[in-house]
Amino acid sequence: MSADEKILFIDYSRCIGCESCESACRFVHGQPRINMTRTVGGIMAPVYCRHCESASCVKGCTRGALMKAADGMVLLNPVLCAGCETKNCILACPFGGIFCTGLDDAVAKCDLCQHRRAMGMAPACVEICPCGAMHYVTRQESLALQTAEYEAAHRKVMEHVRPVLSPSPRKERG
Amino acid sequence: MPISGTPMNFAFAGAGPARGNGRSVAIIGAGPSGLAAAGFLSCLGYQVDVYDKLPKPGGLMVFGIPAERIPAERIAQGVATLANRYGVRFHPGTKVCDRRQTDDTGDELSTRCIDLDELVRGHDAVMLCTGSWKPRTLNIPGEDLRGVYTGLAFLFPIRAAQYDKSRMREIDVANKNVVVVGAGFSAIDVAHGALGQGAARVSLVYRRTRREAPCGSHEIEQFEAAGGHWLELVTPIRVLDGEGENLGRVAGIECIQCHLGEPDEDGRRSAVPDSCAKVVLPADIVVTAIGETAAPPFAERLGLESVRKNEIHWLQMTKLDGVFVAGDALTGPSKIGKAVYSGLRAAQSLSRWLTLRAMSRELEYREDAPISREDLR
Repeated sequence: MSADEKILFIDYSRCIGCESCESACRFVHGQPRINMTRTVGGIMAPVYCRHCESASCVKGCTRGALMKAADGMVLLNPVLCAGCETKNCILACPFGGIFCTGLDDAVAKCDLCQHRRAMGMAPACVEICPCGAMHYVTRQESLALQTAEYEAAHRKVMEHVRPVLSPSPRKERG
Repeated sequence: MPISGTPMNFAFAGAGPARGNGRSVAIIGAGPSGLAAAGFLSCLGYQVDVYDKLPKPGGLMVFGIPAERIPAERIAQGVATLANRYGVRFHPGTKVCDRRQTDDTGDELSTRCIDLDELVRGHDAVMLCTGSWKPRTLNIPGEDLRGVYTGLAFLFPIRAAQYDKSRMREIDVANKNVVVVGAGFSAIDVAHGALGQGAARVSLVYRRTRREAPCGSHEIEQFEAAGGHWLELVTPIRVLDGEGENLGRVAGIECIQCHLGEPDEDGRRSAVPDSCAKVVLPADIVVTAIGETAAPPFAERLGLESVRKNEIHWLQMTKLDGVFVAGDALTGPSKIGKAVYSGLRAAQSLSRWLTLRAMSRELEYREDAPISREDLR
């Protein structure tokens, strides 16, 4: 059962686009794994990995560099990543949550601050968000946070990230 | 829209307070960059003193940005954690002075003055995070009339009046005709603030179109939906004086029509004034919310211009040994996140400098890559 798996959940209706999350991530990880985007209409929102239950990026990576961990996280194993030119993972992710770095480690993605959590700390972005828009919660708890305001704001951002479809995190089939 | 259950933690870099390292740092300014630097340094065991001219820490996060956007209690909680758990000492209402300069918004609330040299003598290092508090002006005739305010002068009292009623009064806009100049987030916040306080009519005036507006067309649509009026492609050339008993008070604002010209260096099409087409907008209150500039004290003495150009060997250190600078004071107005990053990097640099200097190994300093324009994009 995956309802107890912890994920990052950003309430776009609370977010003011201040970029504190991106800054904290950049400071902790060098290369930010959460990035600010601005829609044509001027809405600022950070795009990030949703750690999908059925993750397209894991299926899309032919080298097995992306894997679903036991606790539900989607993790990147940079040793196996070939930095393929097609960047299948980036193309596969409907949320724009994997980022091209232009460096030796070709892509960067969120691991929910694995090393910080091992030391008993919360993900850095969640701690520095001045608006309280970032939640480190279980999938189950995140359902209660999906208010009508959230849905409306999320749809606007997703229409920008993926103009054709506006997806929601994928569930396991059956 | 519930607020996150994870409390704000400026000292997010570590798991908890470290054993004291016997060194002390003074931070001037308790805004995003100052608090982030204070958090980082206290994780390393520094004794941190934070000085701020305002009655409460938080800077523009608390006194400029409306509570609907940033909950003040979340910032207060983060500050309380720094004070109680990490032993950071806060000195509110204290301005570190350059006596020649007192025209920043918010100066009226500071009750004590401290000299920079005093801080330098009393601490191992000092960090200047004074932000950008000097409002930009339009430089047009009539801007000094009564009833003309800057964006900060309008927004600041809304929050500051809670702390000192005797010296701070909210600007009364009830049943008045308010014209706001600008199209950034502070202009939008002023416009919504005026609507919320019962203004009869609120108009936003912008020289370009909503497509170029820094706050984005979505915000403007929301402003219109709330009952505001949006006027684009007009630029003010004169604030009009009242007549008779209203002499010396604003009566309106004269604007000329613009059209869009060639894109300028940041890619937005510029506004070109058409000199013949004039309009007069009647107004009881005019708010010019066209941004702020940084006016850090001691800019010349600290050689801030060379820090900006990155001519000083140590990242974000000024001409004065052991005095560092971060945030808007260095880069000019930007976003909270950029100020946070700048504060963190300066704190890191400060700590490395003190550590290497204590061992007389300054020469081993590995040049940090400066914060690039790309990082601050």
